[in-house]
Amino acid sequence: MDVTVGTEVPPLTIDPVPLEPMKTVGALLQDSNPIHWDVESVRALGMGDRPVNQGPNNLAYVINMLVAWAGGDNAALRRIQCRFLGNVFGGDAVTARGVVTAVREENGERLADLDVWLERSAEDRVLAGTATVAVG
Amino acid sequence: MPIAIEELEALIGKPFPGGTYAIEPYQHWLMMDAVGGAATRTGTANPMYVYYAALAGMGISVDELFHLVGATAEDGPMFGETTLEAIKPLEVGATYSVSGGITSVIRKEGRKAGVFDIVEFRLELRDASGELVGVNTNSFIFPRRD
Repeated sequence: MDVTVGTEVPPLTIDPVPLEPMKTVGALLQDSNPIHWDVESVRALGMGDRPVNQGPNNLAYVINMLVAWAGGDNAALRRIQCRFLGNVFGGDAVTARGVVTAVREENGERLADLDVWLERSAEDRVLAGTATVAVG
Repeated sequence: MPIAIEELEALIGKPFPGGTYAIEPYQHWLMMDAVGGAATRTGTANPMYVYYAALAGMGISVDELFHLVGATAEDGPMFGETTLEAIKPLEVGATYSVSGGITSVIRKEGRKAGVFDIVEFRLELRDASGELVGVNTNSFIFPRRD
């Protein structure tokens, strides 16, 4: 893979963030928080009228972008650290992005360090952090 | 009054009950279908499973964790940060042991936010041979209203 500092990872857009999968994820994670599937609960909390996506789903979008960049190799991602900066609501459009900040060798392996984030727009990042991916 | 900071600090280093987590093939398929990953029932698991396995296998629920630090979901705790370290790829169909506990507690006060605590916990995943294969570190932010 031709990777240098400044290389941009092909972005991954989810538009719209779907509602039904939040129910599946809630059941699989045994997450009892109704803001992810019960609109009445969201309204009662004054958070609008759309379910709130589970935070780990937002992280998963960024990871899926990185795995796709690595040719679908789940083993390529070595580390990811992210801060959760805001909620994503059902129906939002979000895009995962990443840019390479360093390329290095470690134990005979070529690794790329990246800044990664998930955004609703260029001025509205909802998740941001760093990642390390083996780039062969 | 919020829980005393000394009470929170006393939790540092005390291990969670821990447990095990099996990456069930059908659950991997369903989860990946839900979040847009490769929906597979064999092979290497999506790296998100460092997080999913750690949280599900730590031996207490997230609600119980909130209770442990003197909070409930109604207090509006927020997910602060997460770090996933994949030392060795996780495999769909394999079972992993999980251990860990609270590693730091920081109390802060903001002009707008008021008093809040940042609680960090670290979870280790080990395979059947006992080899460390993944580490997940998370922090939650707990508003402390009177």
